Amino acid sequence: MDEVLQQVAKLITEVVGPDFLLGVEITRDTTFSDDLGLESIEFVALADKLNAHYGVDLVAFLADMDIDEIMAMSVGRLVDHITARV
Amino acid sequence: MSRFLFVVPPLTGHVNPTASVGGELLARGHEVAWVGHPGTLARLLPDGARIFPAIDDLLEADIRAKRERWLALRGMAVLKFFWEEFLIPLGHAMVPGVDTAVRAFQPDVVVADQQALAGPLVARNSGLPWVTSASTSAELVNPLRTMPKVDAWVRDLLHDFAGGDIRFSDRLVLVYSSKALVREEFGDEVAFVGPALAHRVERVGFPWEWLAGGAGPLGGVARERCVLVSLGTLNGPAGERFLGQALEAVTDLPVGVVMVAEPRPAPPNVLMLPSVPQLALMPHLDAVVTHGGHNTVCEALAHGLPLVVAPIRDDQPTVAAQVVAAGAGVRLTYSRARAADIRSALESVLDEPEYAAAADNVRASFLAAGGAAAAADRLEKVVAG
Repeated sequence: MDEVLQQVAKLITEVVGPDFLLGVEITRDTTFSDDLGLESIEFVALADKLNAHYGVDLVAFLADMDIDEIMAMSVGRLVDHITARV
Repeated sequence: MSRFLFVVPPLTGHVNPTASVGGELLARGHEVAWVGHPGTLARLLPDGARIFPAIDDLLEADIRAKRERWLALRGMAVLKFFWEEFLIPLGHAMVPGVDTAVRAFQPDVVVADQQALAGPLVARNSGLPWVTSASTSAELVNPLRTMPKVDAWVRDLLHDFAGGDIRFSDRLVLVYSSKALVREEFGDEVAFVGPALAHRVERVGFPWEWLAGGAGPLGGVARERCVLVSLGTLNGPAGERFLGQALEAVTDLPVGVVMVAEPRPAPPNVLMLPSVPQLALMPHLDAVVTHGGHNTVCEALAHGLPLVVAPIRDDQPTVAAQVVAAGAGVRLTYSRARAADIRSALESVLDEPEYAAAADNVRASFLAAGGAAAAADRLEKVVAG
């Protein structure tokens, strides 16, 4: 599980660029919306990386969520989803 | 002759296309009126335009204050705030004023901006035909289609407000874009008229001698190339960061730069102004750096100008994607682009002729779409039935 978390954090860092994560440690509680402020194009890039690495479809994962769930969507929730799938 | 009532929110980008289409209808001898925030409208409409109030100065100030808070939000919270705290309350607040305007003006058709939800509601309750003025093409392609529960949430809000999805009239949806940018198929009621730029009034001055190099510190040498950097009327702290990086990006670049921003220290090739007559400036430019507001993007493309687009929120990512797909510009990440990224993007669109050629293709498609005259033709047909 920690391994998945580390890998997801690495993929996020690749997408966002390491400069912008200075002082931000990516944990299970880090949210995509508020903490990372992921822009739509970064979101697409992350989805591609997750798909390539784990065969996980991020868009399909989110498609099942309502607006509050998407707002609260955390790295931990994604990690759990990947862990359950892989 | 017929009577047309435009219902608009207090947002420049949403008023501008109606100023043009309304101006064309007036020129054809029709009666035209606008209902919204009189202070905002008076700045943008032709002299003597007939204006009905639906938003007073207090509410308009409240809306601006709300937008300041909204600018601090990120991700999906932006959308939630937009609908729950802005669009729906604005719709309710405008109903009495729109109702009064409809009774006083007795329009044949109500033309409602997509963000003036009171328009369709009042029109329907008054038994009048209403049509949509879509100041952005993004809603048409439904950016929420991959998030069906969020999409359903928006539809539910609209149903609670007006009993239906009033973002789109089934009679006519005026879209100020063309198929060169929006590559999907729609019903006959969706009219791609291109940007409506005729009859627009710009009351802001500009030091035109600067463009010739006369007043600037570039040493009296005419600027061979000139770019506009504008993040629109809303930007907030992330906008400050981007503008700082943009200033660094253009330092020592052999181009004149008009930057829309509050005064701050700038290199000598940069002219910093809080507002500019953007449309009048376009023929003097070679490229535009923008947040991807639909009006600015389409005004630039209407002049065949390539773009650097750093979308912030709302429809802007969709608009940026359209520009990139058309080959007419380069996209940057707004909250993270650095000076080197901005400089490299700007050099690409200025120096690689493919971008200008693609922008010129879009320009040609806009010209063929007909602009304000085509919009007025379609509106006349709605009255004719």
